Amino acid sequence: MTDLLGVPPALLFGQLLVGLINGSFYAMMSLGVAIIFGMLRIGNFVHGAQYMLGAFGAWYLLRLPELLPGLGLPSLGYWWAFFIVPVVVGMIGALMERLFIRRVYDLEHAYGLLLTVGLAMVIEGLFNVAYGAAGQTYGVPDALKGGINLGFMFLPIYRAWVIGAALVICFGAWFVIERTKLGSYLRAATENPDLVRAFGINVPRMLMLTYAFGVGLAGLAGVMAAPIYQVSPQMGQSIIVTIFAVVVIGGMGSIFGAIVSGLMLGLIEGLTKVFYPEASTTVIFIIMTIVLVFRPAGLFGRETSSHTVADLSSGRVGSILENSRLWLLILAVIGAALPFVVYPIFGMKILCLALFACAYNLIFGYVGLLAFGHAAFYGSAAYVTAHAATAWGLPPEISIFLGICVSTMIGALFGWLAIRRQGLYFAMITLALAQIVYFYAVQSGWTHGEDGIQSVPRGRLFGFIDLNNSLNMYYVTLAVFLAGFAFVNRIVRSPFGRTLKSIRENEPRAISLGYHADRFKLIAFILSAMLSGVAGSMKAIIFQLASLADVFFMTSADVLLMTLIGGVGTMLGPVVGATIVAVLQREFASFGAWVVAMQGAIFVLCVLFLRKGVIGTLEEFLSNREERRHSALDEIKPMDRSPLSQTAEADAGGVR
Amino acid sequence: MHKNALQDDYIIEAEGLTKTFSGFSAVRNVNLKVRRHSIHALIGPNGAGKTTTFNLITKFLSPTAGCIRFNGEDITALRPADVALKGIIRSFQISAVFPRMTVGENVEIALQRPLGCSYHFWQSERSLGNLTERVDQLLDAVGLLGYRNRPAAGLSYGRKRALEIATTLALDPEMMLLDEPMSGLGHEDVERISELIRKVAAQRTILMVEHNLSVVAALSDNITVLAAGQVLSEGPYSVVSQDPRVVEAYIGSVDE
Amino acid sequence: MSKLENNGAILTVADLHAWYGESKALHGMNFHVKPGELVTLLGRNGAGKTTALRSIMGLVRRKSGAIRFADEELSHRPAEFIARRGIAYCPEERGIFASLSVGENLELPPVIATGGMPIDEIFALFPNLKRRWSSQGTKLSGGEQQMLAIARILRTGAKFLLLDEPTEGLAPVIVQQIAAVIQRLKEQGYTLLMVEQNFRFAAKLADRYCVVEHGRVVETFRRDELDAATHKIEVYLGV
Repeated sequence: MTDLLGVPPALLFGQLLVGLINGSFYAMMSLGVAIIFGMLRIGNFVHGAQYMLGAFGAWYLLRLPELLPGLGLPSLGYWWAFFIVPVVVGMIGALMERLFIRRVYDLEHAYGLLLTVGLAMVIEGLFNVAYGAAGQTYGVPDALKGGINLGFMFLPIYRAWVIGAALVICFGAWFVIERTKLGSYLRAATENPDLVRAFGINVPRMLMLTYAFGVGLAGLAGVMAAPIYQVSPQMGQSIIVTIFAVVVIGGMGSIFGAIVSGLMLGLIEGLTKVFYPEASTTVIFIIMTIVLVFRPAGLFGRETSSHTVADLSSGRVGSILENSRLWLLILAVIGAALPFVVYPIFGMKILCLALFACAYNLIFGYVGLLAFGHAAFYGSAAYVTAHAATAWGLPPEISIFLGICVSTMIGALFGWLAIRRQGLYFAMITLALAQIVYFYAVQSGWTHGEDGIQSVPRGRLFGFIDLNNSLNMYYVTLAVFLAGFAFVNRIVRSPFGRTLKSIRENEPRAISLGYHADRFKLIAFILSAMLSGVAGSMKAIIFQLASLADVFFMTSADVLLMTLIGGVGTMLGPVVGATIVAVLQREFASFGAWVVAMQGAIFVLCVLFLRKGVIGTLEEFLSNREERRHSALDEIKPMDRSPLSQTAEADAGGVR
Repeated sequence: MHKNALQDDYIIEAEGLTKTFSGFSAVRNVNLKVRRHSIHALIGPNGAGKTTTFNLITKFLSPTAGCIRFNGEDITALRPADVALKGIIRSFQISAVFPRMTVGENVEIALQRPLGCSYHFWQSERSLGNLTERVDQLLDAVGLLGYRNRPAAGLSYGRKRALEIATTLALDPEMMLLDEPMSGLGHEDVERISELIRKVAAQRTILMVEHNLSVVAALSDNITVLAAGQVLSEGPYSVVSQDPRVVEAYIGSVDE
Repeated sequence: MSKLENNGAILTVADLHAWYGESKALHGMNFHVKPGELVTLLGRNGAGKTTALRSIMGLVRRKSGAIRFADEELSHRPAEFIARRGIAYCPEERGIFASLSVGENLELPPVIATGGMPIDEIFALFPNLKRRWSSQGTKLSGGEQQMLAIARILRTGAKFLLLDEPTEGLAPVIVQQIAAVIQRLKEQGYTLLMVEQNFRFAAKLADRYCVVEHGRVVETFRRDELDAATHKIEVYLGV
């Protein structure tokens, strides 16, 4: 047989088959994510972990006699797993909904995402502790062994089964939702849950079952994936971001869109592997970017009315905790003394993270946009600075400058693509865009893949400050941090910052006064990316290293966690949060593999119990105390009076 | 009339304005002309398309068909913020204040815009100079001077509406669009806000959507009645209120 | 404040306060509805009429006070519980589900008691709905949507109906049709609590009128007091 398009047919069809297999899993997984998003308005980041649970579930059933010796349990094979595991995983999902997810339905979307990120970290972290990075193998069931020679290619029966079963399951789910009574309840509840409740339907229970169903699908996908991929704790993490991108492409909440785009993107990915293998890991994210430019609601999505940004900030104007001059001074004093208390390198770590968190707080706290791709800015600046200093031998100030330039430009591009979207959409889009940068770093030669750029020379700043001296390095870092901190506070307290605040509080009104809200948000986003770049570049020089961890999405999650723990939209929150996280990471380091799970648990606890963060909670305490003092002074509390009595008072007051 | 409005000097001319939401026409082929320096009211039963028309003129919605001219210039393709920059400032049905800012800051946000420094993220707020005097004037004009440093969220409903008008006035707009300025007010407040509107209408054009017929009768020079997305009748109150179609659509059928 | 033991009332609302987020919408509302009665809440936009209906239906989370229906306290019950006690709600924006067909919309609310209106009778009342059975819900005209929204809650067997502005945005001929339907429901023994701004429409139908201002009922009129009170009501409504 001759080549097709210059490619041997066996290779082409082989990759198409792989693409179709991947596409089947994408379709099943994004179907679940789309259902959960459509119904619950939760971006279920823990979906990947639930898929992994499915695969491990199958593996556990097979090894039942070893796991629970003495009970005389039989080893249950693939077909048992196929029916038992999805139900069990679904039940675990129902429990998670009941215990955690239900508590954030009424809150901003950001919290749902944070919560599920935390849950994913806990589950994946625990499995990582138990099984490490090594994968477990799971055999193909006897009935599906072997293959068929189609003449132009060899088709393994199990793969054909996966594709067929996935199609049946997906379109079965689609049928149930689109064509049955139960489905009509679901669709109606998606549109207007309150009204459906008012008809006497127990919507909370229905939401729980819906979540369980979506999760069960992930579990089933996990079982089906077990004989194809290795069963490993990381298997879900590597797929979840792709799934999010697929759902965005299909149109968030569009079930049909999720299925079709899942299959289609699997195929496209397969084809890319044949024709341009370098792009195969990023092609889905690139397609997502293109789709967003031309069809912001996704291929099959309906344009939703734009809801305004989330005001999560807990800072209070005029509070002592927001006095920028005072705290700049205090932080300078603490910072100057720090290297005499802790190792300078640890101090620098805190300063770097704190600057990064301050930069992040600018967009999350003061603009109200849940960005979830700041690793791209931090990491790209780190790589560029490291490369400039190492390969080109440039002095540190130039290297840092180049790093900042690159992160600012990437920020401008990302911002331009994402800024018109809000809430979860914004988070998913920034996450997917950042993933392009990540995969680029994985593949590019100059980033040295897994090794990263090591032994970055610190050099002499401006030719005369020797940064190899760790105290010199420390005080330079402190100066950069203080400058960054002051700069963020200046932005917040500038005419620009004040306009941002008005947009956050009432976007339509700000627009009606003549402010181009999107432009303000974009500028703030670029400034945030730039400052993240400063932190990333400094990090590369301080630790003499730029690595994949810097661009990995966990870095984005970390900076979010720091801001949340400290207090979103407060001046000191990011600094406090960064310190807490840095200390925790150091303390947890002795627990080795437990770190991720513990960090995830902190995420969950923060979302459930400390939404205002340390500073926000303190602020609330101070403000309550102040109010009590005030109300002790005034006999009357004006806030508690009804409008009727207020207007009566106005009349009595003799308005002209 | 107390206005010296020229008969054919129109500030806003909308022609064939149509807006369709997934098959449902909220507004159909509406022609609306507003005379300069007049108070023009848009009335009609709930769901008649008044607010949609409003949103179309201020470009918060894009018309499916039709065009809008402001001072003879086609503004159909502009974005809402650009419309505002042209001098058309609108209010909203639900009170539109910045709740966590003080009353004074609410007004300052508007005063700051013409200064052209709103993008200056490197400057301190103090660079805005002294806006205090102007803020005080504006707050005094709407009777809110004593509330300058209170957070806007704590104001009564009527005062929020007054603040909204002060914020709008801060931009000295050529044209004000008021979306149900009396909604949710008790009849004591209605009198105050009516007075305020009459006061600010000098040298300005006002287009308002209003439910309260007595207010409309007392304030407006011209009235457009919308029903089911179309213009039903047009003219001064004395004419419109006698139109049997208006009586039926707005007040309900008269036969018992 | 009215006492909870209103003689013979099926629904009693006493000292009801309700909040949406930071802002308070009801400030101690009191009224009652007797079986078979049609009570209309009149008032301006933003006075709290819709909030009153939503609170009764259990759709407002932050509230305090008493809502007593058929000798049962409902103020702390979720909406699905209240619905199953026989109260049905037709919202102002009609709540026709866009992703459901007319038929699916009509059959969506589960039957909660016997004695609901059979589908034939519904078709007799609203012939349009039969013709448009399989069209998408939102492709209906405003009048048809309103009919669907009312028809939807007649099937279920609920005998206490909450109607929020049933004539909003409708052409006069449709308004008359809706008036006829409501009249028939009254004759069939339904109890109705209605929010309405179209005073003439309400005047023909209601037994009693509660004027709502600033989140409380400021005055109540019986039908026979109407002529004397018309001017007063017009001042309240700003007509």
